[in-house]
Amino acid sequence: MVQSRSLIDESGKRTDGRVIDELREVKIKVGIVKNADGSALIEFGKNKIIAAVYGPREVHPKHMALSDRCVVRCRYHMSPFSTDTRKSPAPSRRETEISKVIRESLEPALILEDYPRAAIDVFIEVLQADGGSRCAGISAASVALADAGINMRDMVSACAAGKVDDRIVIDINDTEDKEGGADMPVAYMPNLKKITLLQLDGELNPNEFNTSLDEAVRGCLKVYEIQRSSLMEKYFGDEKEMKE
Amino acid sequence: MQEVKRKYVIPGDIVAEGNLRPLVNVFKNGNSIVATRIGITESNNDGAKVIPLSGIYFPRANDIVVGKILDHSSLSWSVDINSCFAAHLPAQDIFGRDFSPAHDDMGRQLSTGDVIVARIAIFDRTRDPILTIQDKDLGKIPTGELIKISPTRVPRLIGKRGSMIQTIEQASSTRITIGQNGIIVVSGKDKDGITLAINAIHIVEVEAHTSNLTQRIRQLLNVPESEIESDDTQTSEASDTTINQDEINSNSNDKEMGMINSNGTK
Amino acid sequence: MSLSKKSTVIVENLRKKQMRESISAGKRLDGRSLDEIRPIEIELDVIKKANGSAWVKLGNTEVVAGVKVETGEPFEGLENSGAMIITAEVLPIASPHVEPGPPDEETIELARVVDRGVRESEMLDLSKLVLVPGKIVYTIFVDCSVINVDGNLLDATSYAVVSALASCKMPVFEIKDDKVIETGKTQEPPITTLPISVTTVRIGDYLISDPTTEEEACMDARLTITTNSKGSIVAMQKGLKGYFSIEDVKSIADKALIKGEEIRGKIKGLINIG
Repeated sequence: MVQSRSLIDESGKRTDGRVIDELREVKIKVGIVKNADGSALIEFGKNKIIAAVYGPREVHPKHMALSDRCVVRCRYHMSPFSTDTRKSPAPSRRETEISKVIRESLEPALILEDYPRAAIDVFIEVLQADGGSRCAGISAASVALADAGINMRDMVSACAAGKVDDRIVIDINDTEDKEGGADMPVAYMPNLKKITLLQLDGELNPNEFNTSLDEAVRGCLKVYEIQRSSLMEKYFGDEKEMKE
Repeated sequence: MQEVKRKYVIPGDIVAEGNLRPLVNVFKNGNSIVATRIGITESNNDGAKVIPLSGIYFPRANDIVVGKILDHSSLSWSVDINSCFAAHLPAQDIFGRDFSPAHDDMGRQLSTGDVIVARIAIFDRTRDPILTIQDKDLGKIPTGELIKISPTRVPRLIGKRGSMIQTIEQASSTRITIGQNGIIVVSGKDKDGITLAINAIHIVEVEAHTSNLTQRIRQLLNVPESEIESDDTQTSEASDTTINQDEINSNSNDKEMGMINSNGTK
Repeated sequence: MSLSKKSTVIVENLRKKQMRESISAGKRLDGRSLDEIRPIEIELDVIKKANGSAWVKLGNTEVVAGVKVETGEPFEGLENSGAMIITAEVLPIASPHVEPGPPDEETIELARVVDRGVRESEMLDLSKLVLVPGKIVYTIFVDCSVINVDGNLLDATSYAVVSALASCKMPVFEIKDDKVIETGKTQEPPITTLPISVTTVRIGDYLISDPTTEEEACMDARLTITTNSKGSIVAMQKGLKGYFSIEDVKSIADKALIKGEEIRGKIKGLINIG
C-alpha cells in the first residue's frame, strides 16, 4: 500500500509521539476473570483485551474429542464498542481468520498429548482495539494458559513490526496499520526461539523484511519480560526466590 | 543430606542443567530440564521437577476424590469430580454383580446432588475415570460444609504423613474429608470449630508456597510448638503423591521432543 | 421456539441443606440478609474509544457496557425520535457454562428486559436527538459484554447501561449542505431519570434479592422490577418455571421501590451526577 501522508514528523515522532524503535506501554493483570481456569487482561497502548482459558475440560459435542491429544478451541471476538465505528456483534470473517491464526500460534507451545480426549478453550475478547490486537491477544492468552496450569513448552509472546514512511518501525498502531506501508505481526516462543505466527500486509523488499522480522522479535522479547513479571507478581508476590 | 535447590519458574524456564532425570511438569531439551508450568522447582540427584501452583485436577488412579452425583444411566451414576472428565460410579459397585435395573433402584441409593467420597479405581488415557466406594471410609457424605481449593495445594494441606490436616482437625474438633481434586468437606458439631478449620484451610491455600506457613497455622490454632512437625516445604507429600503422574501427566519427557530437539535425538 | 432445558448448574445437596437452614434463620451463605444487595463497584470511561462506558461489579458478576453514538434513520413510526439500541452478550469468558454462538433465548431476554427498563422510563429524552425529522436522527448503541457470571445478570447489566448512558459525552452532529458532519463538540446526554432494576427470586418459601449463581440454581421463580426516580414502576419481568403468590408479587414490588431508591442514590454517588 502506498502512503498518502507522512506518519513520522521531522523530529522522528510517530502519530502517537513514539520514536521508531519504541513499544507502546504494556500492562498485564493476571487472574482477572474469577470463573475462568486462567485469565489475563492486557493493555497494549490503547488496546484493552481479556484472554480467558477454560481447560482442560470436557469436549462438547463428545464426537469432536481426539483419542490421543487435546482439542484446542480459540475464539477472537471484538465487542461492538471496541472500534472507532460501532461493530455489529455477529462474528466477521476477519475475526474468524484471526481466531484460526491465534490458535495456530498457541498450539505449538501446548503439550496437547498430556490431555487426551479433553478440550482447552481460549477466548480472547477485545474491549478496545487500536492496532496490534491479535498480538496483544496472543500475549494475554499465553499468560492465561500459564495461569490455568496447562503444560506448555514455552510462553508465546507477540509483537508486530512494519514499514511507515519507508522506515521500519516496531509495534504498529491503528493509524499506522490503516495508512502505513506494511504491517507484520509475529508471535515467538522466546526460550525455544521459534516463530509461531507470521503474517504480512503490505510490501517489503528482502532487506526490509529481515529488519522487520528482527524488530518484531525484539518486541516479542520485551513483551515476554512483562508476561513473566505479571505471572511472578500474582504467584510469588514480592519474593524473588524461595526462602529456605 | 541431599542438596535441594528451589526456584520460582514459569513455563519455558530452565529448571536445571546437566544429566538429570526429568520427573514431573518438566521436559528435557538438550542438556536442560525445562519447566512446563508455573511453580517451584525441586532438583536433586534423583531428578528435577516442578511443583505446580495452578491447574485443574487431572485424575490419577487410586486418588481419593470428593464428587457430586449429576445423573444416572441404567448402569452407572455420572459424577462431577471437578476435573476435565466426568467420572462414573458403576451400579454394580453398590448393588453387586447381579445388579439389575429392573429391581434395584439406583435413585434410592444416590440421587442428583449427593456428595460422595470415592476412590478412582480405573483411569487411563482411553476412558473416563471409574470410581468405587467400596473401601473403608468411602461413600455418601450426608452433612458438612463443602469448600473448594486449588488441587495443587492439597499435598500441603495434608502435610507430612497427614500432620497438617490432623492438627487442624484436632484443634477445631472437626472431621475433614479431603479429595485430591480439591473438594473438601468439614463436619463437626461446633460451628465455631468449623469456621476455625475453614479459616486454617484458606490460609494454607493462599500461602502454600511460603516458608513459615506451619508457624502461622500453629498461631491461628493456638497449638504448642511440639505438635506440628516443622514442614516448611511443600515438597515431601508432593513427592509421594506425584510419582504416578509420570505415567499420565507430562509424557513430555519422552514423546514429542523430537519436534523441537535441535540435536536430532528423540 | 422455546424449549425447557436440563439445569447446567447442579448444587450439592449438602450446600442446598446449608442454604435452606441458613435462609430460614435469616442469613444467606455469603452472610447477607435476604434482601441485601451485594457491594456495587462502578468504573466509568473504561473504553476511551466509546462515547461512554462503565465496568460494573455486582459482587463477582461483572459487566462492561459501551455507548457509541452515530447517526442513522429513525425507527418506523418514530419519526421524531432518536433511535436507541441495547444489546447484550454473555461472553464465553464469563462462565464455564457458556457456549460461543448466537445469543440464546436467555441472553435475548436479558437484553430486552434491560432495554425495556431504559426505554419505558424514558431515561433518554429521545425527542431531543433528532437532526432531520423522519430522515436523520442520532442512533445510540449501548452494547453490553458480560465478563464474569455470578448471578443476577439482569440487574448488573442494567446498572452498567444506566451508568454508561448517564456519564457519556455525546458527539454533536449537524446538517450542513445536506450532509451529516461531526462538529467535534460534545454534549451532555438528555437524561430524565435513572431507571433501577431489582431482581428478587423465590427459594422455597423465602424471597431473596440479588441472587448468586448458586442461589439461582436453587430458585423456583424470579421477578425483576424496574422503577424510576419518581417512584413509579416502569418494567417488570417474571422468569423461570415456578410461580409467585399475589402477596409475594406485591411485597417484591414494594421492596423494589425502596431498594431501587437506595441503589439509585448509590449509583448517582458512584458516577458523580446530581
